[in-house]
Amino acid sequence: MKNTLTKYLPLAPVLAGYLFLFLVGENLEGKWQLIAMLAFYCALGQAFNLFMGMTGYVDFGYVAFLGVGTYGMAIVISRLSDKGLGLWLLVIGLLLAIVMATLLSLAVGAVALRLRGAYFAIATIGVNEGFRYLIEGARLWGGSEGIIFTAQLNEAFGREFANVLATYWADVALFVIAAFSAFLTLFYMRSKIGYALTALREDEDAAKVMGINVTKFKIIAFITSASLAGMIGAVAWALKLTYVFPPDVFEIHYTVEAIIIVLLGGAGTLLGPIVGGLIYGLSKYYLAVTLPGFQLLIFAPIIIIIIVLFPEGTVGVLKKRVQGTFLAKIIV
Amino acid sequence: MVFDQLMGNLIQGLILGGIYGMMTMGLSLIFGVLKVVNVGHGQFIMVGAFTTLWMFNSLHASPILAIPLAFLIGMLLGFICYYSFVKKLLKGPELASLLATFSVGVILEETVKLIFGSEFRGYNWALGKIKIPFTVLPYTKLIAFFGSILIAVLLYLWFNRTRAGTALRSVVEDSEGARVCGVNVDWQYALSFSIGLGLTVASGVLLTMFIPVGINPQMGGQYTLKAFVIAVLGGLASPYGAFFGGLVFGLIENGSYTLFALLPHVEPFALTRFFSFVILLVILLIRPTGLIRTK
Amino acid sequence: MPLLRLEHVTKRFGGLVAVDDVSLEVKHGEIIAIVGPNGAGKTTLFNVINGVFLSDGGKIYFEGKDITNLPSYKRAPLGIGRTFQIPRPFGSASVRENVAIGGMFGTQGHRMNVDACMEMADRYIDLIGLKGHSGKPAGGLTPTEKKLVEIARALAMKPKLLLMDEAMAGMNPRDIDQMVELIKQIRETEKIAIVSMVEHIMRAVAGLAERVMVMHQGAKLVDEPTKEALSDPRVIEVYLGRPPEGNVADR
Repeated sequence: MKNTLTKYLPLAPVLAGYLFLFLVGENLEGKWQLIAMLAFYCALGQAFNLFMGMTGYVDFGYVAFLGVGTYGMAIVISRLSDKGLGLWLLVIGLLLAIVMATLLSLAVGAVALRLRGAYFAIATIGVNEGFRYLIEGARLWGGSEGIIFTAQLNEAFGREFANVLATYWADVALFVIAAFSAFLTLFYMRSKIGYALTALREDEDAAKVMGINVTKFKIIAFITSASLAGMIGAVAWALKLTYVFPPDVFEIHYTVEAIIIVLLGGAGTLLGPIVGGLIYGLSKYYLAVTLPGFQLLIFAPIIIIIIVLFPEGTVGVLKKRVQGTFLAKIIV
Repeated sequence: MVFDQLMGNLIQGLILGGIYGMMTMGLSLIFGVLKVVNVGHGQFIMVGAFTTLWMFNSLHASPILAIPLAFLIGMLLGFICYYSFVKKLLKGPELASLLATFSVGVILEETVKLIFGSEFRGYNWALGKIKIPFTVLPYTKLIAFFGSILIAVLLYLWFNRTRAGTALRSVVEDSEGARVCGVNVDWQYALSFSIGLGLTVASGVLLTMFIPVGINPQMGGQYTLKAFVIAVLGGLASPYGAFFGGLVFGLIENGSYTLFALLPHVEPFALTRFFSFVILLVILLIRPTGLIRTK
Repeated sequence: MPLLRLEHVTKRFGGLVAVDDVSLEVKHGEIIAIVGPNGAGKTTLFNVINGVFLSDGGKIYFEGKDITNLPSYKRAPLGIGRTFQIPRPFGSASVRENVAIGGMFGTQGHRMNVDACMEMADRYIDLIGLKGHSGKPAGGLTPTEKKLVEIARALAMKPKLLLMDEAMAGMNPRDIDQMVELIKQIRETEKIAIVSMVEHIMRAVAGLAERVMVMHQGAKLVDEPTKEALSDPRVIEVYLGRPPEGNVADR
């Protein structure tokens, strides 16, 4: 029991951080939008980190998983709203989102995960676009017009509650997803899965010689990361906006943001995505006032600087500093 | 009649393919020499497109003049990138160079967006058309095509007939051996990277000769994907393979578009883009090192 | 039944034949030295046994089982361990984690949870004498320390056969002697067979190996007990080179 406590101690600052954010949003007038955005970025970072941070592979098409997750929720709400399912409607929507994201990740992973580094990047860079054009080209699920389901959501929950769902509960769900992703990350890190991923990230051939089935573990990380992304899309995009529009949900710039957040915070660390999410989210929010639309232009060179000078990111640097001290047990 | 249409289609596909091939040569060159995948590839093409746009609309200069300027811009960017960070990342994990080139692409896209705005623009270089067997071609497309071939030939000659080119080939074969022979490997890397980018930016000019509309800062992404498909088709490390891969891809893309246009209930343009992606996955599944074996 | 048996194994890279029709046997608990100049194909041979490369011809049997086409990650749990010529520990992980990883996916991996692997790691770290470095990232160690970490990591896999690639390269004579003692101790306590690859180090061969195999240009030249090998002119030629024409030094 004591052992488990020490093992999961690093979760404490994570949960504390999210709780703090939540309380700030609840109690400070007019800040909920900002908090919701921060929650989104932390969740995105946490989910993306599970793959990129832990395996060292970059999935340039990552946003596709958010996109299909959005579609999962949208499809369920738009079609089943009149069945009187109550909150189960959302549960089913979430499940479909997860299923669709998982299926897509299996399809992509079957090809891409056998490939090494550069080829993997090449394989994934078209996934988001490819899927978007599939939807538009084959006119699936509304084709290029997307799905608008505001009316159906109102029908299922009544206008007032539907509004609360979209403007409050969707964001709370993000916190839950972020916390859950953090838990999963730590769980993997403390299990053989995490060690296998560390090994394959460091030296894939040596890992194989040690008996590690690298493809299997890459797939585990990939699917987990993808399902979490599906959940985020379902909640932060579908439920919140009550519409889904292909060019929006397959936009590569969300992948860019995910990369920035993970690298900034520290790839492969537990706290990294939160730190990264906060820094990026706050910067974007306040830049929007002074220099709107500039945030990518500012952060892209920062990424290059991080890659060259501080590849381990903020938390990575912090970890080195606290090595050997008590803090090392909670900053992971 | 059908045969005529088919042949016309074939020719259009080949011409398009020539441009596509030239567009990919830079990518293959950089990967072949430095083992770096330029994930920001499409954005460099976009820079070339905007260079042409600006020269035509503001300076009233012929796009042909834009070609050498674009090449120089590419080379300049190449040297800057190489010496500021690419060089340092060569020894590191692959992830690093992928992310770095990706970030460069983002920087280019955002900068152009800032300077020129996000709208779609074009230019009109009306030179008239020419009637060739089976189809009608605007002169601009023809110029673009022959321009591409010319550049490919020049590259070949440079590689194989000049001292500088030979030095570069030696580095690809065996960098240590080349070093021992007195070749400045670092300079060769810098040169290859820059020439690769120069080719890429220049290809943007030729691309606009072919498609003079729809020029906008976000146009790069789709060309990155196409270039990857072509490069993988032709063998990621071979510039010549890339050229032939381009021809094949041009045929496939043109052909599939025509085919999809015949089907009901689909959007042919979008479906063609999806199809290109599927081709990529299929090739990567069967033979990641390329279907065409050329050196 | 021999532990490892290679039958006519060949490996080519394009036109180069790196391993040329090599057949050999390793018995349980044996210590064998493979010697030969650079480029003789020793590392490639190891890579083929390990599954890093698949052979182009011939068969490999481990404990009677045909592993010729088995991927490398499946060979490890059968009992084949490996250290590399240039050590490749997992740099960002601690020494302890490195060794534990060996245990997690080795022959006993399926019965041991993470904590048990960590405990086992501590024992092996003690054995190789790196106790104080247990928590440090493996990437920051000296090359010799990294070699030791690799050995501990390979041992944690509880292999039946340990392939050691140039474990003593670049060491001074005193370190070599220590390493020889360590290897003997390993063989005693772990009861495993060790195939050690050494380029020129006579002390290692003489003091350690029961059998010597000489490789030259990919092929096996000599395979005999150490005593005979030490006076075999072919072995001497590999070490000292061909003597000047018609003049063999008196022994």
